Amino acid sequence: MKTVQTIFEDGRHKWLAVVRDPRRPDYLIDTNEYLVVSDDDAILLDPGGSEIFPAVFSAISTQFDPRRISKLFASHQDPDIISSLSMWIEFNPEIRCYVSWLWSSFVPHFGGNRETFVDIPDKGMDIAVGSQRLQAIPAHYLHSSGNFHLYDPKAKILFSGDVGAALLPAGENGVFVENFDRHIRHAEAFHRRWMGSERAKRDWCARVSQLDIEMLCPQHGAIYRGPDVRRFIDWFSQLDVGVIA
Amino acid sequence: MTNGEGRESGRELRRIVRINEEIKRVVKTAFRINLMAMNAIFLAKRAGQSALGFGVLSNELRRFAAELEQQMLALGQATSGSVATVTAMVKEARLVGMLERAQALCEGAGRDALDAALRRHRESALAERREQVATVNRTLSLMIEGTTRLVEMGGVLARSAKIEAAYGGAFSQSLKQVSSDFEATIGEIRQSLDSLGKFRLRELAA
Repeated sequence: MKTVQTIFEDGRHKWLAVVRDPRRPDYLIDTNEYLVVSDDDAILLDPGGSEIFPAVFSAISTQFDPRRISKLFASHQDPDIISSLSMWIEFNPEIRCYVSWLWSSFVPHFGGNRETFVDIPDKGMDIAVGSQRLQAIPAHYLHSSGNFHLYDPKAKILFSGDVGAALLPAGENGVFVENFDRHIRHAEAFHRRWMGSERAKRDWCARVSQLDIEMLCPQHGAIYRGPDVRRFIDWFSQLDVGVIA
Repeated sequence: MTNGEGRESGRELRRIVRINEEIKRVVKTAFRINLMAMNAIFLAKRAGQSALGFGVLSNELRRFAAELEQQMLALGQATSGSVATVTAMVKEARLVGMLERAQALCEGAGRDALDAALRRHRESALAERREQVATVNRTLSLMIEGTTRLVEMGGVLARSAKIEAAYGGAFSQSLKQVSSDFEATIGEIRQSLDSLGKFRLRELAA
């Protein structure tokens, strides 16, 4: 089963990170899921692939009733992001899935119907969760052509999807980045290959530099916090992307 | 989905593919009978008065071939429909498998929801699936029975043609050869239908 760790808590406003599954088969990429709870409401960010649904569902159950998750946020359309959609609908047929308008007729191949999806326009939008308002921040072409990150201005956390992802070797299981220089080596090849647009990268760096971020939470690998957030943005802005390393 | 269920559903899909191949084989054979019957009609015309009966039977065999082709096409459509049923079964089995895996791990707040979802799927979805599988099997059985009766009639026509060939005078030998070919070809079709008759969808246990 995956581990659930509270990475932010302020009264009834919480961020839970669902990470590391010791029983995950090695042919599946490891993913992080994040649950943002506000009052009695919750949104699950990049809920994951159908193969890992049992591990994610049961991990969340230890801390929160999964039937109360009213929204899903899919940063983009990949199977490791949202192929578990039909399983979540099983537990809450009213659940809404926020995804780029570009993918709103593709993702239904994983489940759901016309009512399930809320299209996020290219410029982004606010998403209300309980008493909090989260912001869908454009991250198009990083790596998907319709791609969003999610910013919580109160918690000062940016969920950054595949940006900041690292493919960590076995044994490196820390939830947070502890040594930036050592960690970033595991992120470099991934970003060079997956992030296809230099211009999109520059736009994103400029956009997120305006935000007050204390934690940058990727979908794979460890979470950047404190000064490592700035370090990551600077490192990324200098990296040659869209190349086969 | 457990490995057993996965293997079972894969077997069902492979079975449907085999059925479709068998149907294609019969359609091809029906086309061959059609050509053979046409040649037999020309031969009977050349043989003249002594092969009048043979000519009539050859005409009947052409009609038989056309009707057989139509029935096989309808059977092909029915089996294509059963792909949808099997696919739904595969999806259902996969969903139940996921729920069972989650249930084995889950001890928290979601446990009740998992138990309820599994109950729901095992009761209503299983009953619905049984009904769908029974309908598919019933439809296919009826169609195969109808086609088997038609092929029996084709066999009778081929045997009668063989008897008529004996009265074909100078053409008797050629007519005998043609009627033996009819008989052998209809025998092939009968074999294919026997294989199709064994076709039954199995219900995947959740």
